Amino acid sequence: MLILVLGMLLVGVAFLAASFSPRQPKTVTMDVGFSGVRFSLVLFAVFWVQELVGREVERRTVLYALAYPVGRAAYLLGRFFGVLGLLAVAAVMLGGLLWLSVVLSGGQYVQGYTVQTGWPYWLAIGGLWTDAVVVAAFSLWIASLSTVQMLPVALGALFAVAGKSLGAVLDYLERGADGDQELAGRYGPLLQIIQYLLPDLSRLDWRVWPMYGIPLSEGAVAYGLLLAAAYVTILLAMAVMTFSRREFF
Amino acid sequence: MRGRLPLLPLLFLLVGGVLFWLAQGGLLGVKRSRVNAEIEVALPIFIQVAMAGGDRYLAASWSVVRALVTETSHMAPEEYQILGQVQKDASWLNPAHEDNYYIATAILPWEGQVDPTQVILRRATLARFFDYQPPFYYAFNQVHFKGDAFGASEWLRQAAEKLPDPEERVTLADFAARWLDRTQDLDTAARIVDAMAAQAKRKDFADYLRQRSQRLRDLAVLRRAAGVYSERYGQPAGSLQELLKSGLIEKLPVDPFGVGFAMDAHGLPVFRSGAGK
Repeated sequence: MLILVLGMLLVGVAFLAASFSPRQPKTVTMDVGFSGVRFSLVLFAVFWVQELVGREVERRTVLYALAYPVGRAAYLLGRFFGVLGLLAVAAVMLGGLLWLSVVLSGGQYVQGYTVQTGWPYWLAIGGLWTDAVVVAAFSLWIASLSTVQMLPVALGALFAVAGKSLGAVLDYLERGADGDQELAGRYGPLLQIIQYLLPDLSRLDWRVWPMYGIPLSEGAVAYGLLLAAAYVTILLAMAVMTFSRREFF
Repeated sequence: MRGRLPLLPLLFLLVGGVLFWLAQGGLLGVKRSRVNAEIEVALPIFIQVAMAGGDRYLAASWSVVRALVTETSHMAPEEYQILGQVQKDASWLNPAHEDNYYIATAILPWEGQVDPTQVILRRATLARFFDYQPPFYYAFNQVHFKGDAFGASEWLRQAAEKLPDPEERVTLADFAARWLDRTQDLDTAARIVDAMAAQAKRKDFADYLRQRSQRLRDLAVLRRAAGVYSERYGQPAGSLQELLKSGLIEKLPVDPFGVGFAMDAHGLPVFRSGAGK
């Protein structure tokens, strides 16, 4: 509930942010709003996983659920898909609120290059949802092995920041790190390895299309989704394996 | 029934009151931070991204808001440098940000920060393939602040190609050709205008550009003659008539646009408008 209020507040901030823009109030509302929606969805993901899995394990109430004739894998995946559904509802709700803010922001002012509020907008919201799903899968894996309270939330949030930063960092180094050869030389090879361990979540951020009309290549969306789906599969498999062997006493 | 006075809370109340009074009195003598304190630091890009939760667009928006709320009218030169860096970073994080290039163009080059402005505009030109304004401003800065008429003309033609209205496209392409008049290498300038004429879709505009290139060639002929005159007589010619009398040119060229040619104070032939007449 608190996160929902926070999400609505962030959309409100996005609406107010438009007043800082001299020429593109709607674009600024959308830009700040997408960031707010992403932030809220990630928080939803980690807290819901903690609430639905982490806390049950911690209180041992998980044993009641496992006493039923359901496999541990089914229990874990059921919870995960439940979180997915909840995230989808939250994405549609916050996306709808933001959509309304974008339409209303700027008042009578007609900006030179207008934003797209049709399906490019909803595709971008879909990308943010996918991003949150990957974070939820990661938190689930941590919850399946963690014995420390709130670890899924803390590591999930860290994973979300690291995954999202990865794109900007790689981009920076690829473009020569502003001429800093030492930096590029020292971290370049390391990042080449990291990008095969950590998913580049910024690849699921497709806001340039609704904001500026810059079309996305099919490869960008398809590979982005493939990356997310594959990573979620790996994490779920690991979570199921850990959870199946786990002893609760 | 009256209870005993709670001594400990009273003591804290007293101590708190005295400390508050001391702090308040002390603060009166402390100068407030400057209004534009928000622009005193430009953080490394990594830190900006990390502080925005890994979201480069949010980091860019934050930098642009910083630039927007800064009181720029009383800033020290080094603070403009920081502002330039902050906006350059914002353009790296989100090159398509419209407000960023717009504010940068309005403030930075006029305060000596031409290079960061050009970087911001170059990135915006690439990202905003539909927007004629970044290359237009880039061209203007190039000719106005850097005196690079060739470069400016090239960028102005890029801007013209992005305009949706054919009439406006022609007008801007015309400006591009005119700016070449300001360059010293007239033969190259004439060749560029000819190349522009060859690409022009409209015949009347192509003819107009060819007249412009001819005009540049005429000026180039006059300048060569003026150079020979100076060498031969040890002093520059006082007027175009003197050049004509010396026999170095057969006749005075006729400007198709009716503006004509003149001699500047240093004995260099220029377009009449350029001589300030």
